[in-house]
Amino acid sequence: MPSLAQVLVDGVFTGASYALMAAGLALILGVVKVINLSHGAFFTLGAYVAYLLETRGVENPVAAVSMAAGIAFAFGVFLGKSFINPVRSHPFSVAVGSLGFAILFEQAAQILWGAHPLSVDLGPPWATFNGVLLRRWGVISFLVSLALTGALSLFLSRPAGLPLKLIAEDEEIAGAVGMDVEKIRYLTFGAASAVAAVAGALLAPAVAITPTMGRVPLILSLIVVIASGMEKVWTLFFLAMGLGLLSNVSAYLLAPSWSYLLLLFVVCLLLVLRPSGLAAAEPGRD
Amino acid sequence: MKKTGASPSRKIPGALAAVAGVLLLLPLAGLDAFLLNVLTVGFLMAVYTGSWDIVGGVAGQVSLGHALFFGAATYGCALLTSLAGWPFPLAAAAALLLAAAAGAAAGALSAPLKGPFVALLTLALGEAAHEYFLGQTFFSPEGAYSWGGEGGIPVLLSGPPFSPWTLYYAALAFLVLSLWLMLRITRSEEGLFWTALSGSELSARASGVDIPKHKRRAFVVGSLFAGAAGIGFAACVGRATADDFSLELSFQAATFAAIGGRGTIVGPVLAALVFHSLLQGTGIPSEVRVLFYALVLLLTLRFFPGGVAGTLRERARSRRMVLQGKGRTR
Repeated sequence: MPSLAQVLVDGVFTGASYALMAAGLALILGVVKVINLSHGAFFTLGAYVAYLLETRGVENPVAAVSMAAGIAFAFGVFLGKSFINPVRSHPFSVAVGSLGFAILFEQAAQILWGAHPLSVDLGPPWATFNGVLLRRWGVISFLVSLALTGALSLFLSRPAGLPLKLIAEDEEIAGAVGMDVEKIRYLTFGAASAVAAVAGALLAPAVAITPTMGRVPLILSLIVVIASGMEKVWTLFFLAMGLGLLSNVSAYLLAPSWSYLLLLFVVCLLLVLRPSGLAAAEPGRD
Repeated sequence: MKKTGASPSRKIPGALAAVAGVLLLLPLAGLDAFLLNVLTVGFLMAVYTGSWDIVGGVAGQVSLGHALFFGAATYGCALLTSLAGWPFPLAAAAALLLAAAAGAAAGALSAPLKGPFVALLTLALGEAAHEYFLGQTFFSPEGAYSWGGEGGIPVLLSGPPFSPWTLYYAALAFLVLSLWLMLRITRSEEGLFWTALSGSELSARASGVDIPKHKRRAFVVGSLFAGAAGIGFAACVGRATADDFSLELSFQAATFAAIGGRGTIVGPVLAALVFHSLLQGTGIPSEVRVLFYALVLLLTLRFFPGGVAGTLRERARSRRMVLQGKGRTR
C-alpha cells in the first residue's frame, strides 16, 4: 500500500500528462470548434503503442512517444479531414460521430488485445525521499508534458501561432486574408490527437491498459476545457493538474471507481451551474 | 392548408401493416425458440430506439445517456422483486415511475443547455450510473452470495415463466402500441413544440414557446417509453446487469436513429429491428457487432450529415419542384 505522499507525487506527474491532453482538446475546441469525444481514444492508442513496443523489447520512452505521436497524427488527420471537417456544422453528427469513432476504436482494441488489463513495466525507481519513490515514467512524463505545454503556450503567443488564434476568433476574416482554413483545421486536429497519444504513451506504465481507459482522461479534459478555454494554457495546465491530483487521491482514499464518478459529478456540476458561461464554445452560427 | 411532407409519411402505414403481418405469421411458420427470442428482444430494442428518437430526433436534444432510463427500469424491477419481495406488476409500475423520474431529472438539468452540451451532460449522467452500479453489490436476503455489477440481479416474476410464444406476441403488441402512441404524441400539439425546439431555439423562443418546459416533457415521455422497454427486457431476460446502463447501449440508440432517419420515429424503430435481428440472429460476438454499428454510423453521418430523412426529403422536394415546373405554372 503506497503512502499518501507517494500518491500525491504520482498525482502531480499524472496530472501533468492529463494537462497535455486537455491542451490538445482545447486546441480542437478553439480552432476546429467541435467538442471532440474521440480524444480519449487517442490516449488509449498511445498507451497501447507503448505496450506493444515493450512486448517487442523496445523500452525506450522516446521511441514510444514518437511512434504514438506519428500513428495518432496520421489517424487524426484522416478523421479531421474526412469526417470532422465535412460534418462540422451539424452538432448531432459531430457529437455522435466522434463518440462513434471512440467506440469503434474501443471495440477494435478489445478484439485485437482483449478486454483484460495489460501493463507496462514501471522500471526501477530513480530516487527516494523519505520513502517517496521518484520513478522514471513519472519524471519523464512530467518533464515532457511541461515542455510540450510550454511550447504550445509559446507558439500561440508568437506570430507563427497567429493563424490558429485568428481562426478561433473569426474564421471568415481568416479565410479572407488567404488562409487555408480547412487545412489548418485538419492539421490542428491531427496534432492535437498526436498530443493525446503522447500523454497516453507517457502514462502507460502508471495505469491499467484497457480498451476503455481513455474515458477518464476524456472527461477530465472536457472539464478543464469547459472551465478554461484555449488561450489560457497555464490556467488549463494547473486545472488539469488539480483534477489529476483529485482523481488520484480519491482513488486512494475511497476506491478506484470513485475517481471516475467524481470527475463525472464535476462535469455535471459545471454544466448545470455555468450553462451561460459556455457560449464561447458554441460551434458555428445560425 | 395542405401539410408539406405528408406524402411520404402517408405511404408508411401500408408498408408497416405488411411488416406487422409478416411478424405475426413468423412464429406459426416454425421459427425456433432462439430466433423467437432474438426477435422478442428486437421488438423491445425497437421501442427503446423509438424513445430515443422522441428526445434526440423529434425534440433535437441529443442524448448520449439514454441507457440511464432503460437501466433505471431494469434495476428497479430487479431490486424490488428480488430484494424487497414485491410482486412483479407492482415493481414494474414503480420501475416505470423511477425511469420517468430519471427522465424528469435529466430534462430539468439539461433544459438550460444547448446542442453538444446536452450530449455531454447526458453522457456524464449515463456513465455515472453505469460506473456506480458496476461497483455496487447487493446481498441477497436468503443467501450469503452477492448480486450486482456485471453478474446482475435476478428479476423474479410472480407466477410461472412465460413461454417464448407469449413473450413474442406480448412484445410485438407492445411495439405496435408504443409505435402508435409515439406517432400520436409527436403529431400532437406537444410534438409541434418539440419540432420547434429541434429547429432554431431562438425562433422558438421568439414565438413564445416555453423551451425548458417542453424539453423536460420530451425527456419524460422518452424516458417513459425507454423504461417500459426496460421492464419488458427485464421480464424477458430475467436479469438486470450493469450493462443496462452502458454507454454502448446509449450509443446504439443514437446509431439506429441516425441510420433510420432521425425524427421520423418509424425509421429508427425499423432500423433497430432489422439491425438487431440480423446481427443478433447470426451470433456474432458483441464487440464485432458494436464495431460494425459504429462503422455504419460513421458512414451514414459522413454522407448524410443532415440526417437520412432530412437529406431524402430535400431530394424529393427538389424533384417535386422540377416536376411541377415542367407541368403547369402556378
